[in-house]
Amino acid sequence: MTKKIGDRGIYSLVSRRSLLQGGAGLIGGTMLSGGISRPALAAEMPPIGTWPDGSKGDSVFIGASVPRTGTYAVQGEDELKGYQLAVAHINEGNELVKQISPKTKKGVLGKQLKLGVADSAAKPNEAVQAQQRFISENKAVMITGGTSSAVAVALNKLAQREKVLFVCGISGSNDTTGKDCVRYGFRQNFFGQTAAAAITPVLVKAFGKNKKVAYMTPDYTYGHTVTKSMQDNTATDGWTTVTDQVSPLGAPDFSSYLLNVANSGADILVNVNWGHDAVLSIQQAKQFGVLDKMKLVVPYQVPFLARETGGLMQGVYAATDYWWTLEDKFPLAKMFNAAFEKEYGYKPEWGAENAYISFVHWARMVEEAGSFYPPEVIKVYEKEETIPSLVGDVYYRKEDHQCVRPVIIVKGKEQKDMKGKEDYYDIVEIVPGKGLMQKPDAFGCQLGDYT
Amino acid sequence: MRSAASSATIPEIDATQAPRADHCRQRRFAYFHINVIAKGRRFGRHIVMVNWANFVSQVFNGLALGALLALISSGLTIIYGTLGVLNLAHGAMFMLGGYAGYVAYTYTGSFIVAVAAGSLFVALVGILMERIIIRHFYDRPHEDQLLVTFGLGIVFVELARLVFGSQSQIVPAPPLFAGITSLGFMFYPTYRLAVVGIIAVALTVLFVVLYRTRIGMIVRAGIEDSVMVDALGINVYRVFMIVFGIGAMAAGFAGIVNAPVVSLTPGIGDDILVQTFVVVVIGGVGSFPGAVLGGLIAGEIISITSMFNPGYAYVMLFAAMTVVLVVRPYGLLGTKGRE
Amino acid sequence: MPKRRRYLIEMFTAAGLIVAPFILPHLGFAPNTVNRILVWGLFGIGFDILFGYCGLLSFGQSAFFGTGGFVAAYLLTRAGFPNVLLALVIGMIAAAAVSYLVGLVALRRTGIYFAMITVAIAEVFFFVEFNPLSAFTGGENGLPGVPMPSFNLGFATLRFSDGWSLYQFLAVCYFIGIVIALRIVRSPVGAILSAIRDNPLRAQAIGHNIHGYKLAAFVIAAAYAGFAGGLLGVLQAFMPPDAFTFETSGQLVMQTAIGGIGTLFGPLLGAAVWLFLQDFLQSALNLGAAWKLVLGTVFVLLVTFLRRGLIGGLKDLYELVAHPKKPAEPTEAASLSDFSAAAGSDAAAMVPHKRAADRGSGPILQASGLSKQYGGLRANSDINFTVNHGELRGIIGPNGAGKSTFFKMLTCEIPPTSGKILFEGRDITGKSVTDVCQLGLTKSYQVNQLFTELTVRQNLTVAVLADLRGKFRLDLFRDPESIPGLKEQVEQTLQLVRLAGRPDTKVSDLAYGEKRRLEIGLALATSPSLLLLDEPLAGMSPQERQETVKLLKSIGQGRTMIVIDHDMDALFELAERVTVLQEGRVLVEGTPDEIKANPAVQEAYLGGVLE
Repeated sequence: MTKKIGDRGIYSLVSRRSLLQGGAGLIGGTMLSGGISRPALAAEMPPIGTWPDGSKGDSVFIGASVPRTGTYAVQGEDELKGYQLAVAHINEGNELVKQISPKTKKGVLGKQLKLGVADSAAKPNEAVQAQQRFISENKAVMITGGTSSAVAVALNKLAQREKVLFVCGISGSNDTTGKDCVRYGFRQNFFGQTAAAAITPVLVKAFGKNKKVAYMTPDYTYGHTVTKSMQDNTATDGWTTVTDQVSPLGAPDFSSYLLNVANSGADILVNVNWGHDAVLSIQQAKQFGVLDKMKLVVPYQVPFLARETGGLMQGVYAATDYWWTLEDKFPLAKMFNAAFEKEYGYKPEWGAENAYISFVHWARMVEEAGSFYPPEVIKVYEKEETIPSLVGDVYYRKEDHQCVRPVIIVKGKEQKDMKGKEDYYDIVEIVPGKGLMQKPDAFGCQLGDYT
Repeated sequence: MRSAASSATIPEIDATQAPRADHCRQRRFAYFHINVIAKGRRFGRHIVMVNWANFVSQVFNGLALGALLALISSGLTIIYGTLGVLNLAHGAMFMLGGYAGYVAYTYTGSFIVAVAAGSLFVALVGILMERIIIRHFYDRPHEDQLLVTFGLGIVFVELARLVFGSQSQIVPAPPLFAGITSLGFMFYPTYRLAVVGIIAVALTVLFVVLYRTRIGMIVRAGIEDSVMVDALGINVYRVFMIVFGIGAMAAGFAGIVNAPVVSLTPGIGDDILVQTFVVVVIGGVGSFPGAVLGGLIAGEIISITSMFNPGYAYVMLFAAMTVVLVVRPYGLLGTKGRE
Repeated sequence: MPKRRRYLIEMFTAAGLIVAPFILPHLGFAPNTVNRILVWGLFGIGFDILFGYCGLLSFGQSAFFGTGGFVAAYLLTRAGFPNVLLALVIGMIAAAAVSYLVGLVALRRTGIYFAMITVAIAEVFFFVEFNPLSAFTGGENGLPGVPMPSFNLGFATLRFSDGWSLYQFLAVCYFIGIVIALRIVRSPVGAILSAIRDNPLRAQAIGHNIHGYKLAAFVIAAAYAGFAGGLLGVLQAFMPPDAFTFETSGQLVMQTAIGGIGTLFGPLLGAAVWLFLQDFLQSALNLGAAWKLVLGTVFVLLVTFLRRGLIGGLKDLYELVAHPKKPAEPTEAASLSDFSAAAGSDAAAMVPHKRAADRGSGPILQASGLSKQYGGLRANSDINFTVNHGELRGIIGPNGAGKSTFFKMLTCEIPPTSGKILFEGRDITGKSVTDVCQLGLTKSYQVNQLFTELTVRQNLTVAVLADLRGKFRLDLFRDPESIPGLKEQVEQTLQLVRLAGRPDTKVSDLAYGEKRRLEIGLALATSPSLLLLDEPLAGMSPQERQETVKLLKSIGQGRTMIVIDHDMDALFELAERVTVLQEGRVLVEGTPDEIKANPAVQEAYLGGVLE
């Protein structure tokens, strides 16, 4: 038995009878659940994670933890819509899905998908709690979530421990497929490094070299890595940092930060804040005259930012994963836009797009693997096969499980140029992904084991 | 993608971080890199944004923030002083005032109506809360009162979230105060200037009510000794109800007046609540002048600290509170016996 | 709760924990949820001792929860520590050590100020975790990769993995935690904590070092929190920074309130309700974000209608069903009937035990030049006052004469502005009321200062504990029954003050006269060699007065007493010598007859005598 902090030992603290009862129960229960280690079964493929239990029936469960309250609630709800549309399309064998995953008939390997949703409130703890439940109770075969990179990193680790695949939701931090990468985690969307690398040439062309930059950074992994990537990528063109105002997630008032920025003498304001923080900081930047003094850049675009800031994004450069006017170039995007708009009544932003395509890619990988056995599915991802997506062909890099895909540079349209209610941005450039990626080991990624 | 840089044009960069794979350093706040042109002092690895313009801006901003805290804290302190009830729903009332005003604004388009609606609605909420719930808690241990107001605070926030959603709502500033004022060395949103004025007026009105009217005198007597007031034949419960209403109204008024400054979300009351408590403790529980003084001090502490390192701003507030409590156990202007 | 059998609660707990894995799944509880409930329950045990038993509401327990958790997680992940259990214990010790330092500052204040300091501490710890120490704590990411516990027993290795397997480990931890807590609560320290919650002033005055005990409760709560924090990391394989947030502390408080404050099991039940509803409302009812609204409303309703949480509600229900008859209202006649037994020899048995410094004869108390000034008001001026061993001295004087102030200075409740007090030849000026009581000088109060939520017996026990154990002893695991002489001294005091008939009644149910007697009894129980009585007859009916005077006479044997009162008939009957105070000074001193005839006294009281 365990050590106790008593002074007279076990027997005087606890009556002998209850001790025996407790002890018997302990040993009995342990044997019941196999706590005592036994010699390994000589089977070919021992059970791993939720396999094979999770895929025995005629449906499989997917656990999703998105923020439905808090600073990222708006983006979380939108992301959820993407997941739900993907699940519906995969289950019915929609044409769009078949374009990306040709082996899909109905569902995944003939099994219908069930989606379980929990509110993470952008807190790692809440997400881990919910996903643990999804895994142990519902035998989820795949988990997803993010929006906050802190959540993504936590779920990375959980997935690796529980041996359940984690298909990352929105996550912009370099660390997610960098130093915090795991064998069981995969990410589709663009991130700090690719965003910075893609947007820098556009910015330099528009604004020139040797500019003084003020940064506004949210205080967690996403903020710090994106700011750093921007600093590193613009340094060669002589851009210098005059101040970096780091604010907590969900800050109610940015006045002190903005005053520091206003008095810093910067030419450019790079706002890395996301979600509601971005909306508020930009609105207040306008109030403090900062936007009149310097140019705003949003290196990691926020869904609905243009709508919520009411016109403040005019002339602002941003890097994003997707913008709906891409449909002119990509027929799959057109199909996606149509389906999404029909279902939800507005044009999709990149959060929903990322959610949708991540799921469809996963469905494809499982179909290709022919089973839900996680190491097999992982190996299919790692084949680096070129596969279609909503913005052309992409592939997943085997060293860090990051999808190599183009980054879209957009610029906010002037009010007078907007052709419709949702026509907020011009697409300035579609930058191919390969040249934007860092070297595979540059961010310290060490994938873990398969089993 | 990266061309060779022409070295001649790269200006002197102080304490630049060599890019490393280790991102731990990134999480530290204190790296402000200043170009040689900007005035600044080097502080080891920190380079601090101390220049005259910034200092004055921050002091000014602190005043605005402090005024807001002063108003909200006055409400809290008179409730606590009179009823002995620590109203943990006070932050939620601040939030409700904002939303009530927002609703009024969408229907009428008038900011003044919004302010009136916000204040009166929350005053009503306060009165109802006292009448229906708090009144039954006077003979129960203090902790129970705390718990029930804590629970009510959560209920109010979640109700607002249910009705309005998590998305932020905007109440635009009245056209009279919209725009930016140039104060010579800096630009400042006109409306924030106006807020300082509005709150100053509100505090004056509160002062007049408390110190120059009969009802105010009874309230102040109640703060000193509610048992005695009762013994003198004054309906103490009615006094309590009025006090709760006034205190709540102060928070609601602050909520709607502050709405154009920060956008409305259900959670804005939570941060304010903790800061309000700190202010009340610094100023001295039950003391109206203490709340005002404490609010201004707190506002300045937050602003000036953010000049050096914004991350430490709120921690400094707590440190200041602890120092005050060690040196003056009952706050700056508080009196013994009020706990 | 009467203890019909020893360890009944422990056995029920063990049975419940063993049976739970078989019943709970049918009620809709996932193994993970049950594990979390256990962790929160353990976290709450310590908090309940601090808040429920000692009355200190702290909103800062998350600081220690997080400290213990991160120290353990750091050892297990970054530092490569092999043994999970040892890491948890180290985390617990770290949390306890930190809380000791924090408590030294925080516990200097009470009430709202204490609560605010705890909030501040929680916020500061969160900040420190997030920033300056983020290299160790992983900042906002927390520390992932915390391993599961495993034990090598030689013949087999017990490896605990997720779900019901880990439940066994957690259940054992919880069981141990409860057993320890029950032990602490039943110990003398537990009784003293309850007294401190009820009336800290009186607890101090009867000779307990309440600051030391409060600090002990604070550290105990932190130790539980620290261990629970470590368990959270193990449970999730990940130590989250959320452990440090204010919400965590708030959730703990709410869960404890829901379950029942002061019951030790309240936090477990509250956590079960909270976590179950959280899961149920989100998944089964698909409420989405509105689950918190429902939970909040449930909480408000529970707090409003169930005064002591769910467990309290269940207890009330049980009382209603099992004992429908209400106890009779206390009457004066009933209280007087206690006087039917003769005083007799009991008094002699209650001789105060000899203290080291006792001299046995000569002056027991000497006050010289004692003055007290409040701003412009001189409450006492230059009083010289001496009392000899075995004397029964009375003090009288018109209102405002400064009698109570004088008493307060003698017991060192307030410090004199100038002057000196010698007790048994030792200078006690400027000492604390606790120390002075331990030396043998104590007072019974004019306005009853009793422990109103405790029974008569418990009141006296607390006082006797101070006498037998000194002002501070950390005997957390001691069985009160094993303290020699405790029972006897309590019984004797009960007999002496005529309350032996109703020892297990709550003080709030006593009649006024009975309360007054208990007030005296409380002071008596500390075995004082010099007993001060501040208006013992205040508010009594004539009959009660007579009986009380008899009581005082019997107490006075073998003991020195000083009595203040306004009832001069009673006092003159009682006292051997009387001192008269007026306007802060000693007017005259003498035998009762001398005083009665003294014209100056008459003038002082009546304003003049017509010749």
